[in-house]
Amino acid sequence: MGETIQIVVTVNGRRRALDVEPTATLLDLLRDDLGLTGSKACCLVGECGACTVRLNGRIVDSCLVLAAEVDGGEVMTIEGLAPDGRLTALQERFLDHGAVQCGYCTPGQLMAATDLLARIPHPTVAEVEEGLAGNLCRCGCYVQITEAVLAAAEGER
Amino acid sequence: MHRFVYERPEALADAVELFARHGAAARPLAGGTDLIIGLRDGSARPAVVVDLKRIAELPPTIEEQGSWLRISATVVMSDLLADARIRHEFPALAEAAAAVGSVQIRNRATVAGNICNASPAADTAPPLLVYGAVVVAVSDAGTRRIPLTDFFVRSGVTTLRSDEFVTAIELPRPSAPLGAVHLRRTRRRGHDLASVTLSCAIDRDGVTRLAYGSVGPRPILVVDESGRLADRGASDTVKEAILDRLFSAASPSPRSMRASPEYRLAMLRVLGRRAVRVALVRLDGGVQDG
Amino acid sequence: MRAEALSQVGLGRVGHSPQRVGGRTRVTGEQRYVGDIHLADELQVKLVTIPAARARIVAIDAAAAQAVPGVRLVFTPADLPQPVPRFGPQFADRPVLAVGETKYHGEPVAAVAAETVEAAEEAVRLVQVHYEELPALVTIGAALDPAAPLVQDPSSRPGDPLAHTNVLREHRYGWGDLDAQAAELVVDHRYRFPMVTHFAIEPHAFLAAPDGSGIVVWSTIQHPYWLQRMLAKLLGLPLAKVRVIAPDPGGGFGGKQHTKYEPLLAFMALRVGRPVRLVLSLEESFQAARRAAAEVQVRTGVCRDGTLVFQEIAADYLIGAYADIADRVVGKGSYIACGPYRLPAVRIVARAILSHTVPSTAFRGFGTPQVIWAVESNIDEVARRLGLDPLELRLKNVARKGEVFIPGDTPADGDWAESLRKAAEAIGWGTPRAPGRGRGIALGIKLGPTTGLSYATVRLLADGSVIVSAGTSDMGQGARTVFAQIAADELGAPLDWVTVVMGDTAVVPYDQQTSASRSTVLMGSAVLRACRDVQAQLRAMAARLYEIDEAAVEVTRGIVRLPQRELPISVVLSEGLGPLGGELIGTGEARKEPVPGHPLGGTAAFYDFNCTAAEVEVDEDTGDVTILRYVSVSDVGTAINPLQVHAQDAGAAIMGLGHTLMEQYIFDEAGRIRNLGAIDYRIPTSMDLPRAFETLLVENGDGPGPYGAKGISEGALLPVAPAIAAAIRDGTGVAIRELPLTPERVWRALRERDAAETASDVQGVPLAEGFPMAARHGKPSRRRQHGQG
Repeated sequence: MGETIQIVVTVNGRRRALDVEPTATLLDLLRDDLGLTGSKACCLVGECGACTVRLNGRIVDSCLVLAAEVDGGEVMTIEGLAPDGRLTALQERFLDHGAVQCGYCTPGQLMAATDLLARIPHPTVAEVEEGLAGNLCRCGCYVQITEAVLAAAEGER
Repeated sequence: MHRFVYERPEALADAVELFARHGAAARPLAGGTDLIIGLRDGSARPAVVVDLKRIAELPPTIEEQGSWLRISATVVMSDLLADARIRHEFPALAEAAAAVGSVQIRNRATVAGNICNASPAADTAPPLLVYGAVVVAVSDAGTRRIPLTDFFVRSGVTTLRSDEFVTAIELPRPSAPLGAVHLRRTRRRGHDLASVTLSCAIDRDGVTRLAYGSVGPRPILVVDESGRLADRGASDTVKEAILDRLFSAASPSPRSMRASPEYRLAMLRVLGRRAVRVALVRLDGGVQDG
Repeated sequence: MRAEALSQVGLGRVGHSPQRVGGRTRVTGEQRYVGDIHLADELQVKLVTIPAARARIVAIDAAAAQAVPGVRLVFTPADLPQPVPRFGPQFADRPVLAVGETKYHGEPVAAVAAETVEAAEEAVRLVQVHYEELPALVTIGAALDPAAPLVQDPSSRPGDPLAHTNVLREHRYGWGDLDAQAAELVVDHRYRFPMVTHFAIEPHAFLAAPDGSGIVVWSTIQHPYWLQRMLAKLLGLPLAKVRVIAPDPGGGFGGKQHTKYEPLLAFMALRVGRPVRLVLSLEESFQAARRAAAEVQVRTGVCRDGTLVFQEIAADYLIGAYADIADRVVGKGSYIACGPYRLPAVRIVARAILSHTVPSTAFRGFGTPQVIWAVESNIDEVARRLGLDPLELRLKNVARKGEVFIPGDTPADGDWAESLRKAAEAIGWGTPRAPGRGRGIALGIKLGPTTGLSYATVRLLADGSVIVSAGTSDMGQGARTVFAQIAADELGAPLDWVTVVMGDTAVVPYDQQTSASRSTVLMGSAVLRACRDVQAQLRAMAARLYEIDEAAVEVTRGIVRLPQRELPISVVLSEGLGPLGGELIGTGEARKEPVPGHPLGGTAAFYDFNCTAAEVEVDEDTGDVTILRYVSVSDVGTAINPLQVHAQDAGAAIMGLGHTLMEQYIFDEAGRIRNLGAIDYRIPTSMDLPRAFETLLVENGDGPGPYGAKGISEGALLPVAPAIAAAIRDGTGVAIRELPLTPERVWRALRERDAAETASDVQGVPLAEGFPMAARHGKPSRRRQHGQG
């Protein structure tokens, strides 16, 4: 293949040195090079949000970021949300409120919801719906997801 | 994905040199939310992709330069939304930025990219037009300041030369209060490409600047200097006639699958009327949702 | 009744909503979907397609593609057994690769296997396909034109009188004498339903690997056993040598029921002797599965008092180039086209019409949403024309519980009027509403499975934990959780001591399929019976241990009841199994037998029934429809897991809002899909929901499943479109008979209304007196819409 590019990237707190193809996306890097398959591939045009990860403190569609662009950066994926095996409050509320059905969009939803609560600790329904509009759920869990996010914001046990 | 060489210059001069060398075969990469889709589907086939985000001279900042705000080419939509000066002085631009894609997209998509991509539906084009934006482009021939009104040619085509790339967009800060708003039409409430976009800014003298997009090959700026469009006492008939004239350049494509020309033209009217109404309320200091 | 049913079970799990079984791995990213699986030494497959719908393939030149480093196989029809094998769940009409002619946009003409995805993509670009584009049929009108080209070669349909037409099959149902009915009003309209796609967020994915003298295939398939059977036949292998592994799909909705590219992968794997892997793009998934479009003519005859006297339905479904399961969809969907009403005379004619489009297949509702849209809209029209309340008209005519409403089929199995009243009450039916707003109500009914066969095994292990094996596919509907709840309750195990094994034909006993909302009723019953089998073994064990009569032992709620005392199951089990340990193995079977001579092969196991009501506001300037309130009421028998039932119903409603408001394939004149992909095929986002959204359940414990459960998850999708359209009609006076109800379509209808009013200078549509909701007509006062401008 073409000339590879050497990058260093911190993924879920772990520093990684990698050789990547210019054409590789961050999603390819995570799924294929690091085996972090929690970030999902679907539309690959930035519409569905299944590949959402946090890059340098902001969520992005990892299908629309070149792997080469993240050199020196910090990435958090769904696998990094509960590294010690203890679920976050948001993950628990997703389960309590039935916000997970097939689960394929769930990692992206959780990454977006985690980001939303970091930016807006006590969001309104409209803010949750706007904040998660970039994450499609074809099972149609939107109502339950919103409930789960609001419950997590309220610190519901 | 289409194969290319990835370049990541750290100095502006290096980037200038890359574009001088490769010309049309080079494509700048800022947010990548359009470019990477194009690379994947084969509609963009550059030999070289030049990532602008590590150029020392192009940090993602919005700087004050005299009576202007300078938005660097690496500023993303979320940066715009977070900037109090943009929100307060250029609310139509903030509204347009907020309408672009999802949070994820707004965290990557740049204002400069939105403009350079030259989509007729580009959301930030109408507000930048009504606010009198100037595009700053650089090449080894030097820096060129291009009024945005002279920038768009047609879908995907601008007046940039192949050896030039955009380093910033500059906005004159309003010296007097404006009432401004950005409105758009989409197929659903969730993020969507607009089938009509329209920005409106009205000043205290009643001069109304309207810019609209997605109803022709490029976004268009029109101005009503007569003050009658903004005249609360003017009759609907008078205002309709003015809008007729202002919108006469609209020529939506019959090929679009997003909406028919007839509907787009009708919605342009609806947005025009609503925008004038909202802008007037805002001009008076009122709070009015767009 | 429900309380009584629940009193039979223990530990309170059934009827409660524990966290989803399998939920934890879904929130941590650990859940493995097919696309997450890699095999050692695998090759990556990419499909070769051409940018045409229908084209004659002149030649395929693979030389340049073969030369790409890393390419191991460029597979063309010439590499397949000759004649090229064909397959399909109803007719073996679909070739493994296009033979001579592509018949729809996206039909693969060849495939490449390479060491990397990049090499495969590069090779695909270099495969030169010489072709001659031919005119394509993408509409019902074009396909029915006597001069139209035939989509399928007549020689492939020997003895079929329709072979020289594009009608694959015609279905006729009916009873009574239409002409003998004295209708005082006949309402006759044509309704159109768009072509839409499943858009599961997980695109289809497949792997195939040679396995000794057999083959293993991984697939996102909903029906692994059906795929196993089909592959065995195509490859000439015994069933035991075809292993299908089907991890939980990431959404199915019917689009993953049937075989797609698994045969191609199997032939390629056997050819190269290595595992091969194909993960479709979303665009390729759009080209793999869709719902049939339809045009439905409805004539409803009614007496002035609102008594329905006949219905005549002519439903044309536009299916694809190959039948897939579409003809069954047409036959089963149209069978219940007249809805749940008492009707003295009915005539239904439905046609499955072939076209040069993506093969349509099963999709939530299975052919019923198309006819319910038409019939319920027509019923609304009937009520308005008579000046009757649409709710009252439905209540007057809906079949009462136990009443036969389709001769020869299962009588009404629920108190459906209760669902109607509940929906009406929740939406405030009949109460005053703000100007510019409208309310609509509609119902939906669909047949559950007409035949079925499910086996389950339940193993009670020595420590009291439980392994359930059930061949259902859990694609989000939550079958895994329901089965675990049943086993936990019946055998007294904590829920997290129950493991449910699914998705492997080599390990799990046979299940016919996961479709028609069957799994709770059929597989749930099989699981329940397997648990009861274990309980019987426990009774025998207790009788032996304690030297009492077996008849004196009772096992319920995890407790073994002896005449003098009660023991936990674990105590009896431990004593009974003795020092060697071991386990008790129970088996269960659930059958829905065919009925000879029945037009569908069998009667309905149950009905999936829903009533939906909505209140909308229409922006008169733009045509934007805002759904202010939305109520969905399903008759579920018993909700074994209420949270999951509500989530399924909400999801069905939101999916229904997609085809109601925004979804449709758009074709160019040559039959290519123009809106291929997520940018221009719009589905609802979190911002496209009703402002207030309520799902309600009717639980009378009257279903055939465990504890009185019925199947659910399709019913709530059926009435969405007619309820919304009726609400728009109520608020604006315009009746729109074509979906989706895009802003532009609504705007056009409003302008036509205005033009008609101006032209005739009359006060709106003439309607009968009496019913206040119908009395509003003409142009309502303008209201500014909230939200975006």
